[in-house]
Amino acid sequence: MTGSSYRRLGWLWLAVLALCAVWLGWMLRQGLPADTDLTALLPADRQAPLVEQADRELGRGFENRFLLLLGDDDRVATTQALGQALQRLVDEGQLAGIDWRELDLADADPHGWMGQWRYRLLTPQWQQAIDADGGSALIEPALRRLFSPTARPEPVTDPFGLLDAWLSRLPRSPIGAADGLLTLDAEGRQWSVLIGELKGSPYELPMQNALHATLERFQQQHPDAQLLRSGLVFHAAAGARQAKREMSTIGAASLLGVVLIIGFVFRSPRVLLQLMLPLVAGSLFALTLTLGIFGRLHLLTLAFGASLIGIAVDYVLHLQCDRVIDGRQFRLRRLMPSLTLGLISSVIAYVAQALTPMPGLRQMAAFAAFGLIGAWLTVVLWLPRFTLHASPFTASLATRWWRLCQPRRRLSPWLALAGALVLVTICALRLTSDDSLKLLNPSPAALMHDEQRVQQLLDRDTGSRYFLVRASDTQALLARLETLDGALDRAIADGLQIEYQSLAGSVPTLTEQQANLARVRKLYGPPLDALVERAGLPANVADQARARLDQAPPLTLAEWLETPIGSLQQRLWLGETGDGEVAATVVISGERDDRTSAALATLADTLPEVKYVDRVSRIGGLLGELRRHTAIWVITAMALMTLALLWRYRRHAWRVVVPPFGATLIVLTAFAVGGVPLNIFNQLGLLLILGIGLDAGIFNVEHARKPAAWLAITLSTLTSLLAFGMLAFSATPALHYLGLTCLIGLASVWALVPWVRPETGHSTTSPRESEHV
Amino acid sequence: MPFRRWWITLLLLVPLSAQAFDLDDLQRRLAATPSLAGSFEQQRELADLDSSLSSQGTFLFERGKRVVWQLEKPVEERIELTPQAITDGSGENAPPGGEQVAQLFLQLLEGDWQALESRFTLALSGDQDDWRVALTPREPALRERIAEITLQGSDTIDHLDMRTPDGDRLKVRLFDQHPLNDS
Repeated sequence: MTGSSYRRLGWLWLAVLALCAVWLGWMLRQGLPADTDLTALLPADRQAPLVEQADRELGRGFENRFLLLLGDDDRVATTQALGQALQRLVDEGQLAGIDWRELDLADADPHGWMGQWRYRLLTPQWQQAIDADGGSALIEPALRRLFSPTARPEPVTDPFGLLDAWLSRLPRSPIGAADGLLTLDAEGRQWSVLIGELKGSPYELPMQNALHATLERFQQQHPDAQLLRSGLVFHAAAGARQAKREMSTIGAASLLGVVLIIGFVFRSPRVLLQLMLPLVAGSLFALTLTLGIFGRLHLLTLAFGASLIGIAVDYVLHLQCDRVIDGRQFRLRRLMPSLTLGLISSVIAYVAQALTPMPGLRQMAAFAAFGLIGAWLTVVLWLPRFTLHASPFTASLATRWWRLCQPRRRLSPWLALAGALVLVTICALRLTSDDSLKLLNPSPAALMHDEQRVQQLLDRDTGSRYFLVRASDTQALLARLETLDGALDRAIADGLQIEYQSLAGSVPTLTEQQANLARVRKLYGPPLDALVERAGLPANVADQARARLDQAPPLTLAEWLETPIGSLQQRLWLGETGDGEVAATVVISGERDDRTSAALATLADTLPEVKYVDRVSRIGGLLGELRRHTAIWVITAMALMTLALLWRYRRHAWRVVVPPFGATLIVLTAFAVGGVPLNIFNQLGLLLILGIGLDAGIFNVEHARKPAAWLAITLSTLTSLLAFGMLAFSATPALHYLGLTCLIGLASVWALVPWVRPETGHSTTSPRESEHV
Repeated sequence: MPFRRWWITLLLLVPLSAQAFDLDDLQRRLAATPSLAGSFEQQRELADLDSSLSSQGTFLFERGKRVVWQLEKPVEERIELTPQAITDGSGENAPPGGEQVAQLFLQLLEGDWQALESRFTLALSGDQDDWRVALTPREPALRERIAEITLQGSDTIDHLDMRTPDGDRLKVRLFDQHPLNDS
């Protein structure tokens, strides 16, 4: 390649990057279209969008609201203090509202707005009573009601108390009123309830800080008060605080470490900048192309893809070490085969991943592959053109370091194979896996405990288990829900320890409502006359009451969902699905054991268009699927790499694969022995190990006699250790596992490399080495 | 002369100090009879009805514990109110909000002004042998349901009168009241 065409390629690459920047800017004009839902990483099936919609609807209350339970000996005073402190946040515009006084419950009186529908709503008991004898058994209770000092009799509009009977059957909030406060009576204690409503996203930092400060101050002033928190905002805030804390400890430490090491070796701050340049260029290239191809990006893709681009540090370090040490004798051509092979082997691994049916892995693969290509092009086309301060110290350090690290003995291929077999056996016997949801949950244990206590005290579920029911229209859906409710009632009568919330319990089908009205007409015959007479009321009261039946509109689902009680059930209604059907959920709470889950799943199978969804086990299943796919892909990548390497290195190929594969096995064995279960995150870490290990193996064999290569390998594993291995100290499970894998794996790569270095005396490293020299 | 004037002033002050009969005094007075029994007459006037619903029966009141309301005419029914719950003979669930009404009823019969003051403004008039307390709701939400409540009595509460904004009225007369011996 001539100098001028090399320059032209360089400018061309710069033009491509500029184009990428413009394109990316255009695509990001409305923010990053990022998915956070884990399921977006998985192949889409027909039900999944609906299930996700259901998950979102059911989770909404948890996202936009928070709930505090306050227990204290001097409950009234402390609750007032806290309520007023939170009210100040509302006044300052941080929160949309806070309910804690009894009065905040006042407009929950349903008599005003439910009245017009009462003649078409009958409980099963009342239906039976009227069907049995026309309803004469209902006269006596109605009479008692009329004369009770605490009831509110309505002899004309509702002499029998139809509405109260109906309302008493509706699910009632466990939150009541006492001492003028919203109160929960649970486990023999009174808890004050404070319900806050957020103005915007639970992730807003100023609001999180204000809320956190208010609660902290309250706890300091009332150390004896027991405060339980529930709501996404607290988890989000804890996550944000933890990220900030770790950024300033782990993040700062690893950044400082990298700066110190690079500064020590190269004695020039410029090298550090030049180290970052290819990573930035690679990320820009990757982000643009991936967004361009997929249209959206998953946050997990972004996080792990960006980490995988970190492998490109290898290219920079090898190039810079060579340049510094060889000085004017440096020729890019000599380094090209190993750089190219390093890139090709890594990209092969990612292309294999791109062929899996998992959209998430494909995205991640595309991102990492584009990123590596972009970084590699920047290294090759641009880095040699920057001036570099070549300190003689670097060269002498490389030589001294090289001498220091000469192992006395070398590994033989048979010993390596035997070692590998032992490690594989240990892994096969001891390695376990874990796909639980906890991995995705960075919340501190205390907060999780609070959350569980609140759910337990409120006897409430966050809607993690439900039936998904579909039908062609609303009436058919209500009928189907009614069938499901009937089946659930029978199962509960047979001993199933659950409760359920269903729209059918609140809104009967139109047919049923018509039948109810007919029953009420029957009740308003002789039984009504008898009631009026015994109550000592004038006979025309009965006629007035009967006249009301002529204006008895049916209750529609849409109307119900607009009422104050009905709005609490909006989360159960999914509305129209994409294919013109309608769907709703029936939320289950109560017993959670396997027997119950099995019974519920079986029940769903017996009914058409009814599906049982357990969110926790579903996400666990998704994580497991993702993990298994990555595992298969890691193995495929290893096989493909081995083939590529055999083609070039023949009988020396084992020397190249020992660092990456050996390190992988050592990590897995360490996990097996240490009882760390395998999960999706440490598996993604293994990809990083494979990439860096392979580069180390290739350079180690290609440049067996060059101290610069060993220095570059050392620096590359050290900087990656600092960048990723430090994450092992993170409290976020996902980062912790990724970090732990990198910590053990990268250290193993580095330790393995000298043992498989070809004999220094022979120039048998590569058949083509001589051509490049 | 100065002495005389002083004497008149003192005489003028006497009725004043007698008038300084306040809610605390009343509460102490009511608390002097911890439990009592008696009869009641209840009349409910409904605005959209010419007639009214009348009932009578007996009651039993144990301060701080419970009220038992025994309806005798026109229907037999025993209703027991405690600070925690309202139970009636039918065993049916109390309608939503029923507990709140029951609690209010209990607070009124006890003359528990501290509890009532959080929701009502209280006005006391009369003297200790013929007093009257008028309660008006503080918050608009409650004002939609209750216009005014008045209690009247002497040693015990003799009359309860509750008006709603839509013109309904509940009048309860308590009579033949006699203290019960704690035994």
